[in-house]
Amino acid sequence: MTMIKTKDLHKKYELGKGNHVHALRGVDMDIDKGEMVAIMGPSGSGKSTAMHLIGCLDKPDSGEVYIDGNRVDNQYNGTLTRIRSREIGFIFQGFNLIPTMTAVENVALAAEYAGASKRDAHDAAKKAIEQVGLKDRMYHRPSELSGGQQQRVAIARAIVNKPGVILGDEPTGDLDTATSHEIMDMMRDINITTGTTFVLVTHNPEVAEACDRTIRMRDGEVIDDGRESKPESRDLDDELMEVGG
Amino acid sequence: MRIIRNVFRRKLRAVLTISGIMIGVFALIVMGAMAEKITLLVDGGLKWTGDKVTVSAGDGAMGGFSTNPLSVDKVNEIEKVDGVAEASANITMLLSEKQSAMTMGMPPMIAGGDGRGKDYESFKVRYIDGREVKPADRGKVTVGADLANKLNAKVGKEVTIRGEKFEVVGLMEKTLTAPDSSVYVSLYDAQRLFHKGMPDMVRGRVNPDTMATGITVFIKKGYNPEKVAENINKEVIGVKATGPKVFKEQIGNSTKIFTSIIFGIALISLLVGGLSVVNTMTMAVTERTREIGIRKAIGASNHAIIRQFLSESAVIALTGGIVGLGFGSLFVLMANAGNTGTPLFLLTIRLMGGSLGFALFLGILSGLYPAWHAAKMNPVAALRHE
Repeated sequence: MTMIKTKDLHKKYELGKGNHVHALRGVDMDIDKGEMVAIMGPSGSGKSTAMHLIGCLDKPDSGEVYIDGNRVDNQYNGTLTRIRSREIGFIFQGFNLIPTMTAVENVALAAEYAGASKRDAHDAAKKAIEQVGLKDRMYHRPSELSGGQQQRVAIARAIVNKPGVILGDEPTGDLDTATSHEIMDMMRDINITTGTTFVLVTHNPEVAEACDRTIRMRDGEVIDDGRESKPESRDLDDELMEVGG
Repeated sequence: MRIIRNVFRRKLRAVLTISGIMIGVFALIVMGAMAEKITLLVDGGLKWTGDKVTVSAGDGAMGGFSTNPLSVDKVNEIEKVDGVAEASANITMLLSEKQSAMTMGMPPMIAGGDGRGKDYESFKVRYIDGREVKPADRGKVTVGADLANKLNAKVGKEVTIRGEKFEVVGLMEKTLTAPDSSVYVSLYDAQRLFHKGMPDMVRGRVNPDTMATGITVFIKKGYNPEKVAENINKEVIGVKATGPKVFKEQIGNSTKIFTSIIFGIALISLLVGGLSVVNTMTMAVTERTREIGIRKAIGASNHAIIRQFLSESAVIALTGGIVGLGFGSLFVLMANAGNTGTPLFLLTIRLMGGSLGFALFLGILSGLYPAWHAAKMNPVAALRHE
C-alpha cells in the first residue's frame, strides 16, 4: 500500500532578481507503507526540496503530494501544520534540538504541539526517551549530550506522536561511523517494529545500503526509483532475523 | 519556566531591557504618586471651598490669599445682600514671614477667624486632642496635622509663631487639605500678628481691630452662590466677591495640565522602555530563526509561535514592572517618611495597578510585531538559517 506519492512535482526558488533555481522538474515518487527508503543525489539535485514537500514544510509550484492517500499540497497552512505535528516526524542533520530545553522537554514539545496536555506530553516523552535508551540522560540539556545522544533525542522527538512517516535529512551527517551505525540500527528497529515509513535523504552510501531501496535524483529529476535494483536479499524476513538475533 | 529560561538566554540583554521597563514604571509610580497627591489636595480644596463665596479687598487677588486689608465692617454690609446667610471675617497669612510661598502643595499658613458661620460650614474639622480656638481666646492656637510634628506641638505646651508664644489648645485630625498645614488662632490674635508684620509706613495708619484679609460668605439654601457673589459685587463697594466656580475651574484646569505633564513625562520614559522590548524581541527572533524553523517543522502552529514570543515579552515587561513598582513604592514611602511637612506623594492602588497593567500592555504590544514576524517565517527558509 502506498504511503507517500508525488505526481509531477515542480518547484522553483527565486535567488535574486530574475535568478531562479529550478529545484524540481517533475518528480514522481511512490513509497510504500512500512518501507525504508533513501534518497541520494549530488548537492542541488533537489532531494532536500522533495523531502520538504513530502514533509508539508513547503508547497510545490505544481504537482501533487499524497500522504496515506490524502492530498496535502493544496491544503491550508493550518492543516499542513496539523499534518506535520501528527503524521510526520523529522530528524535533521544538525540534531536541531532547542538548546534551552532538557531532552525530555524537547521531546514533549512535539507532543504538546500535537495537542497533548502538558502531563500527557511529558509521559509520552519519557516513554519515547526510554525507547531510545536515554533514560538516565532525560534531564540533560543538548549541550550536555554527545552527538549520538542528541540524535537519539531527535529520534525520540520524531516518534513521540507515533507518526506514519519519519523524514530524515542527513540523519547521520554529523556523526562518526560507529555512531552512524548505531543510529541507523535504531531507525531500522523502529521501522520494523512499528511499521513506520522512513524516508532518509543522504550522501552516505552505507545509510542507503541499510535501506530497502534507494531513489536517485539529479538536476531536479528522479533518475532511478530503485525498484529494479532492489536487492532480493533485503526482504523483511532477513531484517527480522537480524534484529532478533 | 521555559519562558523565563528563554528570556534569560542572553542575560545582559534581558537585564538591560527589563531595566528599561523598570525605570519607566519607577518614573510612572513616583511622578504618578505626586500627581495623585496634587489631585487629592485639589479635590480637598474644592470640598473646602464648597459653596462658599470668598470676598477680598476690591483690588485683591483671587481666592483667600489676598494680603490687602479689608475692613471687618464689610461683614455687616455683605450680610444685608439677598441670599447671604452669614459672613465671617478672617485673616490668613503665611506661617513664617521669611518663607517663600513657592512650595509644593499648600504653604504653612496662619488663619484667624471670628468664629461666625460655623453652622453653615459643611467641612467639619475634628480634633485628635483638645478643642478648637474660640473667638474670645487670646494666645491660644490649634495646630494642623502636618504642622504638629514640625512645631513639636502638644496640647498644653507652647509653640512660637512669628516670634510670639502661643499655647496649644487643640491638635487637628488629618483632613488632606488646607487645615493640615495651618495653625488657627482667634481673629484678634491674627489681627495683631498681621499688623505686626506690616511695613512700618503702613502700620501706623491701620487699626488692627478692623482688619481682615478675607470674608467668607455662607449662602442660604436654594441660592446660587455665583449669583450671590455677583450681587455682593454690585451692592457692596470696595470688595471683590468670587464664587466657587472660578476657583474650581482655575484650580481644576491647572491641575489637569500639571498632572498631564507629569504623567506625560513618565509615559514617555515607559514608551522608551517599550521600544527596547521591541528591539530585544526582534533580535531574539532573528537569533532564533533556526529554532523557529525547528518548532514549525515539529508541528508548532503560527498561533503557538506568536504565543511563545508574546509570553516572553510579557515576562520581560512584567518583571520590569514589578521591580519598578517595588523600587518606586519604596522611594515614595521613604520620601514621605523623610519629609516632615506635607507628604509629597500619594501611592494609590489605581496608580500601582494602572502602572503595572500599562507596562504589561506595552510589553505585549511591543512583542506583537516580532512575534508575528516569527510566525510568518517560512519553515524551510528558517531551518536553513545559520
